Amino acid sequence: MLLRLPPSLHYPITVTSLLKQPGDAVERDEALFWYIYQTTVTEGDGLGNKIEVKRKFPTKFESTVDGEIVQWKVAKGDIIDEPVDIVEIDEPCAHEVQFGGLCAECGKDMTESTYNTEVTDSIRAPIQMVHDNTTLTVSVEEATRVEEDAKRRLLSHRKLSLVVDLDQTIIHATVDPTVGEWMEDKDNPNHEALSDVRRFQLVDDGPGMRGCWYYVKLRPGLEAFLENVAAMYELHIYTMGTRAYAQHIASIVDPDKRLFGDRILSRDESGSLTAKNLHRLFPVDTKMVVIIDDRGDVWRWSPNLIKVSPYDFFVGIGDINSSFLPKKQELESSNKTGEKPPVKAPPLPPPTEHHVNGSTTKSEPNEEVSTLEQLVTMGGGDNPRLLQEQSDAQEETIMHQVEDRPLLQKQKELDAEDDATSQSDSSESSASVDESQDPNKQRHHLLVDTDQELFQLEARLDDVHRRFFDEYDQRRTRALGGRVAALRGEKTPFKEKDVDLKLVPDVKDIMPYIKRKILGGVVMVFSGVLPLGTDTQNADISLWSKSFGAAISQKVNRRTTHLVAGRNRTAKVREATRYPRIKIVSTQWLLDSLTQWKRLNEEPYLLPVHPDDRGEPISPSTKDLDSAWLTSDDEDTGEFLTDDDNETDDILQSSGLSEQSPIGYDEDQQAAVHEELKDFLGSDDESESDSDASFVADESSQIGKKRKRDDGTEGEAGDGDQEPAAEEGGDQAGSRLSQRIKRVYERSTGLRAMATPGGANNNNNNNNNNNNNNTTTTTEETKPEEMVSSPPEPEPSSSQPQENIPQPDEDDEDELEREMMAAFEDNDEDEARAEEEEATDS
Amino acid sequence: MFFLKEETKVITLHPSYFGPNVREYLINRLNEEEEGRCTGDHFVICVMDMVDIGEGRVLPSGGQAEYTIKYRAIIWKPFRGETVDAIVTSVKPTGIFTLAGPLSVFIARKNIPSDIRWEPNTVPPQYTDHADQVIEKGTSLRLKILGVKPDVAAINAIGTIKEDYLGPL
Repeated sequence: MLLRLPPSLHYPITVTSLLKQPGDAVERDEALFWYIYQTTVTEGDGLGNKIEVKRKFPTKFESTVDGEIVQWKVAKGDIIDEPVDIVEIDEPCAHEVQFGGLCAECGKDMTESTYNTEVTDSIRAPIQMVHDNTTLTVSVEEATRVEEDAKRRLLSHRKLSLVVDLDQTIIHATVDPTVGEWMEDKDNPNHEALSDVRRFQLVDDGPGMRGCWYYVKLRPGLEAFLENVAAMYELHIYTMGTRAYAQHIASIVDPDKRLFGDRILSRDESGSLTAKNLHRLFPVDTKMVVIIDDRGDVWRWSPNLIKVSPYDFFVGIGDINSSFLPKKQELESSNKTGEKPPVKAPPLPPPTEHHVNGSTTKSEPNEEVSTLEQLVTMGGGDNPRLLQEQSDAQEETIMHQVEDRPLLQKQKELDAEDDATSQSDSSESSASVDESQDPNKQRHHLLVDTDQELFQLEARLDDVHRRFFDEYDQRRTRALGGRVAALRGEKTPFKEKDVDLKLVPDVKDIMPYIKRKILGGVVMVFSGVLPLGTDTQNADISLWSKSFGAAISQKVNRRTTHLVAGRNRTAKVREATRYPRIKIVSTQWLLDSLTQWKRLNEEPYLLPVHPDDRGEPISPSTKDLDSAWLTSDDEDTGEFLTDDDNETDDILQSSGLSEQSPIGYDEDQQAAVHEELKDFLGSDDESESDSDASFVADESSQIGKKRKRDDGTEGEAGDGDQEPAAEEGGDQAGSRLSQRIKRVYERSTGLRAMATPGGANNNNNNNNNNNNNNTTTTTEETKPEEMVSSPPEPEPSSSQPQENIPQPDEDDEDELEREMMAAFEDNDEDEARAEEEEATDS
Repeated sequence: MFFLKEETKVITLHPSYFGPNVREYLINRLNEEEEGRCTGDHFVICVMDMVDIGEGRVLPSGGQAEYTIKYRAIIWKPFRGETVDAIVTSVKPTGIFTLAGPLSVFIARKNIPSDIRWEPNTVPPQYTDHADQVIEKGTSLRLKILGVKPDVAAINAIGTIKEDYLGPL
């Protein structure tokens, strides 16, 4: 190895003599060469004075490793200014494989350190690359060697590596003892579905969990799936469960250890309890690795990942080993068994039992997050204390599951529901077909076994495998100098071997290439899919969609191609109806497309748009109305208004546009505004349907008043000299509403300001007097101008309730102001309230 | 190497155990706690006999009694250069993991004779010279310890089978 000078030396140094010649053996801490360095020291001059002098000191440099000198990189007399390589030493052992702090090759202790140790030798082998043991570490070189061997072997067998997650990917496990009881009970409606559930007992599972039984349901088609996939892939297990758990599962899915062998990595060896890292298994490169997992976030959406839809057989149980992981963003839950498109033909249930109807099954997982996940804390680092807490939490959740029996509760609910429906059925129509055929009514069963994911998954894995090796073969033929050279057999096998490894295509290129094409060019907008306040770009569903080439945008615009709606009749749905190009589809379309790797036909997934929501198609002539639509829609749902100030500003702006500026307000525009208002009020049916008609009438009269008021302001403009300026400025800003707010703000500050110099806020009983008093006492203020003008025109001001709008914003302490407001409100309370509502809405 | 070692241990006993069976109880406690323990330096294989149980002394304030027991035990302290028999627990491309009784010993690929090669394609994977020597999970091996490193409650060791008379039995 090349010995390098440590940065801690006192540079510059001058080499004075080399003590060892090439070929000499050196031991650790043996001197290699002498050098001189210069420094300032404080010396006494013998008279009690201290002076600083520069002195040179000779020192020897000691070797940090054993071995034999191969070659000097410095010579006698060299002046060295910075850390450089000085000598090459051939070590007898490079300590490339270490086991529990020992070099596995020479048996030396790697952790010992002396005064001369810059870094301990254990740093030399930092990589853990064995599945089931963390005490063995290897160096990068060794890891590369091992991995290259493995790659050559895989290539010669035309295989790739596949990392398989257990929970909710290929199996679903629970500790709910109800399952055991149901399995025993032949009369239980769920008995059929549970017939192939396996169970095992984990004894050494920590305190409080003695002899906990685990019930494991294999995903349908698992055996065939693993069998077929094992022909194309070398399988590894990577799970967040404990080692004992993983081993039990492995012995269930692969009893003779042909598929997985010892390649099992559990959370005991993972190194992190919050994330999975491919480099733990494949430290050097991951070109030939594919992952299947039901969670993308733990892999940080690695490009090697094929995300599968989670297998949720035991409804509401979730992943029993996910306590350490950050909480899953629930979304897929709507994608449950009952509502798969009929095309996929789920295996038929026994004819005597009728299936759980789609609505119940799919609503349950939606409404109730599993007990486990409620206790899940956001995964935080590898802090030992936190981990302890989390593992305690996991124990607790397991205990909870054992005690609470979520499945039993669910079945009870289901039974109760059944009873209810059967009662109503029999009372309403006694001769219902169902009832007459089946007098001893079967209970609905909670557990349904209709999952088809593995069949699709197998096809996908096959596809990736085929493309990978197509690409590899192509490159190989090219690199071998084409067919002619290949036929001549010029290449030696050895050379070919090395060439091969460089030619290996990267799964990280191939998979995204396949995936990107699927939703390429799709620009999606979500509506009612993600909870408010989620980062739409980084939510699970968004990242997943993006890996398929889709783009996510925040708002509906001309570039949007799909609106993915979680529920109907949202603002964005209404908005999207106006663009004929946008397809409004349910979330199911997206999920199915993502899981099937196909851009599915949108037709069966199109969301029926409520006729009321259908907007006019966009054309240049209605451009002005464009923004008006947006505003009223947004106001209606109130979705984006609460969280964002900018948004509110935007809306104020655009509402200003629609309401028109006071000047140039012609018949047509008035009609348009009218219509918009009507529409807005009509659509907001929950809150205001009762007072609809009157309200519209009110509005129309208000518009009339508005006109009047506008006249008033213009008249006013003649009187006051300050106010019109403010008005004009406001008009230029284009927003009526914001202008109003501004005005009131201005006025309120004026009021506050004048309260102090006048000291007139003692007599606040009579507001008219008050106003007069104020105005007379404070002549210097600019704002009182308005006050002077305001008392003579109570009519217009009462018909402009906008003065009340910002009331909630005002400070409560201003008694005066409040008195005045109360007076205004008395005049026309209804209208004021209406306006106020509008204001608070926005 | 095995040793017969005399050691002492202090056991505190709750008053509820005071009675005619105190002695029996103490012996049980001692066996339970000591046998199979790894001190980081050696393994306690077996407690042979009590040399002296001593007088119990009641601790002030708690009422518990403290017994100082002298006992003899067979211990095993692995040494460098020692030859032991071990059972293979798993084989990896980097080497072989074995257990020599309580001691885990790792044999690196460099310490395996060069004619015994890694063969990953068999089920289960194995090291083999494609003749009579096959090393897979469960095989008994004779190996020589190259290095021992004590840990908190375990001992790790490095072994070799690259010498005469070492290897699968």
